[in-house]
Amino acid sequence: MIPDYLESLARELDFDRSLSRCVRQEVEDHLWEAVAADSTGNTPQAQRRAIASFGDARAIAAQFAVVSLAKHTRRAAVAAVLVIASDLIAMKARIAWYAAAQWGTSDDMRALRGLVILIDRYAFWMSVIIGLGALAYIHSREIPAAFYPAYRRQLRCFSMLCHATAAALVVSVLSDGLLTALQLRGMKLSVEIWVAILTMAIEIACVGILLVHIRSMTLRAASTAALAKT
Amino acid sequence: MLKGHLDMIVLAALAAAGSAHGYAVIEEIKRRSGGAFDLPEGTIYPALHRLEQAGLLKSTWTTADSGRRRRVYSLTRTGTRALVERRAVWKQFSDAIGGLLGGNRPRETPA
Repeated sequence: MIPDYLESLARELDFDRSLSRCVRQEVEDHLWEAVAADSTGNTPQAQRRAIASFGDARAIAAQFAVVSLAKHTRRAAVAAVLVIASDLIAMKARIAWYAAAQWGTSDDMRALRGLVILIDRYAFWMSVIIGLGALAYIHSREIPAAFYPAYRRQLRCFSMLCHATAAALVVSVLSDGLLTALQLRGMKLSVEIWVAILTMAIEIACVGILLVHIRSMTLRAASTAALAKT
Repeated sequence: MLKGHLDMIVLAALAAAGSAHGYAVIEEIKRRSGGAFDLPEGTIYPALHRLEQAGLLKSTWTTADSGRRRRVYSLTRTGTRALVERRAVWKQFSDAIGGLLGGNRPRETPA
């Protein structure tokens, strides 16, 4: 009986494998201790009583899901800030490389370059401000005991901040891509060029990581809402 | 109402027990409350995880005499401070309600 209950609880928490494993061990210890403390000893009735006192597996899983979601959102916020920092490092490394290689800029398309640099700068600093705002926002909120409407509102707000951060960063990375393309235009493929391409690839990968985090958080929020509904 | 104070109850039980695993926390709550709180025992575990995530508790895995893996929780410094604060707020609230219901004036709190 207890193994079946543990199985159903672990199945409900399957969206977070490490949490599922950890909760299963904890609850197993609890239930067998409750059975051992029962005056009737290790009987089916004692096991049934221990399970009944523990509560419905789905209801308990719904509470764990909220804790897991909160952990996930905080991680997404930290990831956003780290991604922005990595983008900045890649960007600065590329510019330093241009300087070291003494690559000048051609006079044609100067106006376009100026415009793209302006867009890049504003988009990047906007992503910094919104990303830090998202981090501060989510860390200043308490982790709720259940999927309350107030918590849903918090999540919506946080999700909007994350999307805005990602959008600004995407614009910045696209601008960087365009600037790199303008810089490398007409150059032959060489080791020096690969450094610029590599830093661009790092920037794109960073944005990809952020988007994956946001998507994963959105899916997790949807599954938590579904679990809380039933 | 109990749910609103669950965190304080868990923190208080852990402060009394020193360090304890989930089952012992529940037993401590039952013992100290005279069995007044009848909530599903499973509710305590998400609360323990939540409080740990908030930095109010820390936990370590040990092996029980039975050979099973056991997670033992204890208060962090932040948790101890949080409990002191919540106790003070509760005392103030309790005194105010006591004054209202019993007709006694709650003690003036220094500004």
